[in-house]
Amino acid sequence: MKINIKSLQDIDPSKNRFKNNHKQISRSKNVISHNLGKVDKSFFEGLDLDVYVVVPAYNENKTIKNVLKGLEAKNLPIILVDDGSDDDTYRIVKSFFDKSYPKGYIYRHVLNRGLGASLKTGIEAALRKNPDIIVTFDADGQHDPEDVIKVCTPIMNGEADIVIGKRDFNDMPVTKKLGNYIMNSITWIFYGIHVHDSQSGLRAFNRKAGESLNTKSRGYGISSEIIREIKRNNLKLQQVPIKTIYTEYSLSKGTNTQVGLKILFKMIMDIFR
Amino acid sequence: MIYSILGILIGIFAIILSFLRFKEGKMSGGMLAFWLGVWIIVIWISLYPESTTFLANMIGIGRGLDLALILGLIGCYYLIFKMYTMIENIEIQITKIVREIALQREYSQKEEKEKKSLK
Repeated sequence: MKINIKSLQDIDPSKNRFKNNHKQISRSKNVISHNLGKVDKSFFEGLDLDVYVVVPAYNENKTIKNVLKGLEAKNLPIILVDDGSDDDTYRIVKSFFDKSYPKGYIYRHVLNRGLGASLKTGIEAALRKNPDIIVTFDADGQHDPEDVIKVCTPIMNGEADIVIGKRDFNDMPVTKKLGNYIMNSITWIFYGIHVHDSQSGLRAFNRKAGESLNTKSRGYGISSEIIREIKRNNLKLQQVPIKTIYTEYSLSKGTNTQVGLKILFKMIMDIFR
Repeated sequence: MIYSILGILIGIFAIILSFLRFKEGKMSGGMLAFWLGVWIIVIWISLYPESTTFLANMIGIGRGLDLALILGLIGCYYLIFKMYTMIENIEIQITKIVREIALQREYSQKEEKEKKSLK
């Protein structure tokens, strides 16, 4: 794993650039150079930073264990929201946390309420633990755990309140690509802000951004709604390129045309409410 | 005319029902007033069908029946929309409850151990 040296210098505490949170990065340079040797495991370890990873999961028994294993290497607290799964997602996560990961928390929706509702639960749970940064991470295995660092870095540098990981659309199959372009346009038309990847599941918020989110959408519409909140709350946005791991499984999930139409309908109805 | 008698009967029946529901506390005062208005109009139209023609001419629609149908349709759409918002509100409330339960029942290895050690 390669870490951009520049980004490590940027979080040099002597520069004191981490302004957005109550906590300052307090350890000395030694820690950061120590990190360089062991970057893989402990990028965040030397830093006095509380980064919580929120993973919303609904019927993800095939992928969830690998996702958690990948995140385990980052040694960050994981907030897993089981959105009323019918399969054994909850059991898998519970036994994984019990056996090997004391930093895991599970929140279980007794009923399936959708991605938006799960994210909100996760973010609220994270906020109760006084986080510096909240990361949202999909449970279908499409994200690379290394990218957690990429989305956190601009916040650590004080350059952003919210960071969205943009996927490379060229890697996507045509239908997905088209769907995402349409969703970007719809988000732009409705909320007046154009982003490269409005539907991306990998994002990072500082505490201020997390607290200011006021989302109502329960389903996939949440992604566009978060974009709206950026504008409403005047949050600083940065978009960083991230890797996407496409498997047959992760392709079958997420925003397809039907979901897109549903989101559009919801957005129109919300105007009249 | 049969339809005028039917209209009056249905109207009276509905008004009685509305009052009963209001008495049981299942209907708010505002809703009672709204439905009373609707059913009184139905009875009125049954008694004096010509009055709709007068209204229709005023608005510029040829026949009274057309006006009644158009208004009925608009009313239906309004009700559908009203129901949509009501269901949506209920969904929001359910989500709130589900979230609250989830947050209260946080599970973590640490807490589980603490619980066990307390026992």
